[in-house]
Amino acid sequence: MIFTDKNFQEEVLKSPIPVLVEFWASWCPPCKMVEPIIDRLEKEYMGRMKIGKMNVDINPVTAKRYNVKGLPTFIIFINGKIVYRGVAAKTENELRRVIEEILASQDEEVRV
Amino acid sequence: MNTYHNDRLTCWNCPSAILRGNVDFRACGQSMRRFTSMEGGDVVIECERRPELGHFEPTINFSECPQWKPTKYGRLLDNMRVLILGIDGYLGWTLALKLGALGFEVSGVDNFLRRRMVREKGSMSVVPIASMEERIKAAKKYLDIDINFRKIDVLNRDKLADFLKEVKPEVIVHYAEVPSAPYSMVDADHAIFVQKNNVLGTLGLLFLMRDIVPEATLIKLGTMGEYGAPLTGRPLFEGFFPADAVLLWNGREWSLGGEMTPRDPVSFYHVSKVQDTFNVYEACKYWWLRSYDVMQGVIYGVHTDELATDDKLRTRFDVDEWFGTVVNRFVAQAILGIPLTLYGEGEQIRGFIALEDAMECMVRLISSPPEPGQYTVVNQVSGLYKLKTIAKTVAEVGAEFGFDVKIQRIENPRVESEVHPLEVVAENLPERGFRPRVSLEREIRRMFDLLSRKHIVRRLEKVKDTIIPRTWWSGDKRDPKVLGVYSPDEVREEEGGFRGILHMPLDSVFVYRWEDEEK
Ligand SMILES: NC(=O)c1ccc[n+]([C@@H]2O[C@H](COP(=O)([O-])OP(=O)(O)OC[C@H]3O[C@@H](n4cnc5c(N)ncnc54)[C@H](O)[C@@H]3O)[C@@H](O)[C@H]2O)c1
Repeated sequence: MIFTDKNFQEEVLKSPIPVLVEFWASWCPPCKMVEPIIDRLEKEYMGRMKIGKMNVDINPVTAKRYNVKGLPTFIIFINGKIVYRGVAAKTENELRRVIEEILASQDEEVRV
Repeated sequence: MNTYHNDRLTCWNCPSAILRGNVDFRACGQSMRRFTSMEGGDVVIECERRPELGHFEPTINFSECPQWKPTKYGRLLDNMRVLILGIDGYLGWTLALKLGALGFEVSGVDNFLRRRMVREKGSMSVVPIASMEERIKAAKKYLDIDINFRKIDVLNRDKLADFLKEVKPEVIVHYAEVPSAPYSMVDADHAIFVQKNNVLGTLGLLFLMRDIVPEATLIKLGTMGEYGAPLTGRPLFEGFFPADAVLLWNGREWSLGGEMTPRDPVSFYHVSKVQDTFNVYEACKYWWLRSYDVMQGVIYGVHTDELATDDKLRTRFDVDEWFGTVVNRFVAQAILGIPLTLYGEGEQIRGFIALEDAMECMVRLISSPPEPGQYTVVNQVSGLYKLKTIAKTVAEVGAEFGFDVKIQRIENPRVESEVHPLEVVAENLPERGFRPRVSLEREIRRMFDLLSRKHIVRRLEKVKDTIIPRTWWSGDKRDPKVLGVYSPDEVREEEGGFRGILHMPLDSVFVYRWEDEEK
């Protein structure tokens, strides 16, 4: 999924499920390297978590609003609120662990 | 309907898109002053080729743009303006004809340094080549290609700047460097000259691109020799570690994703290429330039359809110890009856690619311009071979042409490991639709066919004495000792020895089916 300044409100902030946004830029090699992992995770978590990318150069407004200073930056939103923020390249395992933890804590909330 | 590997690229990639609007986000907090500030802070562009569109967001796909026309190499920008630096060279001339035949507007620069250096060795191109003037006339006569040539030393920034302003290239292919490892090892003067010519030429070019053609793609030629051949057997990724590469230390773990992999160059020439790599990488970061840094394997061969059109269109072919590359030299040795020279064990493994395939790679890269600031390293090989195997193959094909070819092991004048693993990742070219089509045997056959013609054999005889290596990495200048002479069937692969491993996914995108055409 590609997020933009225009669809951010609708697709991210108002999303009924958690959203992972990877902020990236074309001049950032670590961003290029996590790209295939992001694509894989997007398919795998479809329906449980929305996963996508946002180019900070093309969409400067959102990047500025969330004070994105280093790339890649990963932010997970639930109901428009930030529940996770991580900077720098991550391995697939690391990303998976973060996603699973967030999803597990959500399940708990539902049970309570 | 066909789909193409570059259908989904957008104006963001296109050199015709002139960036406008307020770009004020950079990791380092700098804004690019060349962007005019607009309302709202959005990035918008103007299209140089379609001014009627006015200001718009950079979202038009190549598949929707009438300027990107379908060809068998994917979509190509109509009449794209290409500048080839080093157009008089082995690869530069070949590419000029290839791109000209595809409808590119071809311009070129050279200072004929290569011709002078080969003369310094007392050698010459064994395939005769004409003066640039005559080459250009022949290109017009036989292929109807116009080439806009200017004799310029790339180090002369004033002259190069004027030519860049005149041509306004949308892509620059930069071949104009001294390409020889032994030449850089002759003595201090040669080493210093090579590094100055290569490193400072490229550095100056980067500044000129920033100021004159920041939207153009720079296709910069590096070499697989930048990486060396790590004895750990660590795969040679395309310049950067993938995200799943992990550094484990002290019980903790980091992703190495996007960090440059180590380089281990094998001569002062290769060091100049590593220095280029860093300069180009930095320029992309600082100024949003766009570049493919091509780690090219050893090129061999004589054939493209354009070169073969007429003898006047041929590209140069060198076999001396300084400027001949290994497969080309072996074929010359086979014809001259000089046993093929393996250095030391002859177990060295290298990446190779035929001339014709190498040219297709260039077209594929040109068809996929990087995004602003994107610096991507490309490993350009189509096969990994042991030098022993190459010698054997040349000897076997030579036998088909009636040559009785022997193989010799000689002392190694270089400093390199002679027995080592090699694992190479080459994904970026296949992702852009490239598929190797020319086998080693096929191109070696074409080489024997051309080089065993009488007028070329006569020229080979004349340069015979320049073939055996006398330039030692130690500084010595002497003939190497012969360690043994073998017939081809005595040369065997060691049981359990290392083999090259190449990762090249060949099913990732739709590609044009050449087989259908050849039927
Ligand atoms: N041929 C190979 O096997 C091979 C393998 C790996 C990398 N490369 C790289 O590819 C590029 C082209 O290789 P090639 O085999 O065609 O070499 P080449 O020497 O035939 O071509 C280079 C051309 O650039 C010109 N040149 C050099 N310095 C110049 C300067 N300062 N100003 C203007 N012109 C200048 C030379 O006169 C020559 O015509 C080189 O950068 C080389 O390092 C070649």
